[in-house]
Amino acid sequence: MGPVQSPQEIFEQLRGVLNELFEIDPARVTLDAHLYNDLEIDSIDTIDLILRLKEITGRKIQPDQFRHVRTVGDAVNAIQTLIQNKSAAA
Amino acid sequence: MNDSGPLNRAWRVFATGFSFMCFGLGAVLMGFTLWPVLRLSSLDSRVAVARVQRAMSVSMRVFVWLMKSLGLLTYEVRGLDRLAARGQFVVANHPTLIDVVFLVGLMPEVDCIVKQALWRNVFLRWPVSWAGYISNATGAGLVAACAAALAEGRSLIVFPEGTRTRPGVPLNFQRGAAQIALAAARDLRPVTITCDPITLHKGNAWYRVPPRRPHWVITVADPIPIADFLRAGEPQPLAARHLTQALVQWFDVSITQQLDKMRPETRPGG
Repeated sequence: MGPVQSPQEIFEQLRGVLNELFEIDPARVTLDAHLYNDLEIDSIDTIDLILRLKEITGRKIQPDQFRHVRTVGDAVNAIQTLIQNKSAAA
Repeated sequence: MNDSGPLNRAWRVFATGFSFMCFGLGAVLMGFTLWPVLRLSSLDSRVAVARVQRAMSVSMRVFVWLMKSLGLLTYEVRGLDRLAARGQFVVANHPTLIDVVFLVGLMPEVDCIVKQALWRNVFLRWPVSWAGYISNATGAGLVAACAAALAEGRSLIVFPEGTRTRPGVPLNFQRGAAQIALAAARDLRPVTITCDPITLHKGNAWYRVPPRRPHWVITVADPIPIADFLRAGEPQPLAARHLTQALVQWFDVSITQQLDKMRPETRPGG
């Protein structure tokens, strides 16, 4: 991911990752979709997801930073915060 | 023998209550006497836990014997010799409350995943602690803990449904069992459990006994190999999904066939 990315770009990229890792139909991935209830992403999947996001963002992610993530929209916000912090630090 | 009249049903309600009371009292008694003694009988915790687990297996057999002797159930086990080897990863469907009682009784030494709530249960917290059972509360560490137990050559029972089957609802497996098999690179040993007429199922109180004495069939089948799922070279979450789907299909067929055979054969006209 480049340093400057709109929420929309992050969302599209997340869609791709969810499809690649979990075979989730991109049409089901909306900002309101609940990761566990709607997309059946369980706690073990979350670890794999975070690992993949680490690779993409090139940034360390503490599972803590994803603790309050419930929906796809939450995840987009969390990723955006991460990237912004990285740009700020750099 | 009449096993469906009103007198017999009344007896079965009473005897079920009596059995469960024995189970609870036995668990508390053993939890404060024999289990801790065995658990502390060796400085090597693996040796000690194995002793508790073997004693646990015997006590489960005693409990099944009690329920059978009281006329509460009949059962048959097919392919039991397949459970004799160590280091097996047993996955079973979970129709009734006492499935784990049967399975622990059939295996000399086995680890189980137990729901965290049992550590708050006054009857069961000590036995499950002394036996070294694995709590489901450890979340992500759970898969690693189970894979480690298998790598050590211990056997493990997992109910992929995570809870008892809801009759009439399509079979639904959590992916943990597949994750464990993939992490441990271990084939799965499927065990199909059916009970007819169904009793002690999800959402049914213990005193609501079935119209006639229930019969359990427990079938230990050939292993389900995971090589194809590991070989596909796909990310593990995806492999776990595909393996889980394959497991659900396997059990769907197996449960249906077993129930179909059971109904006419074991109950010729009541």
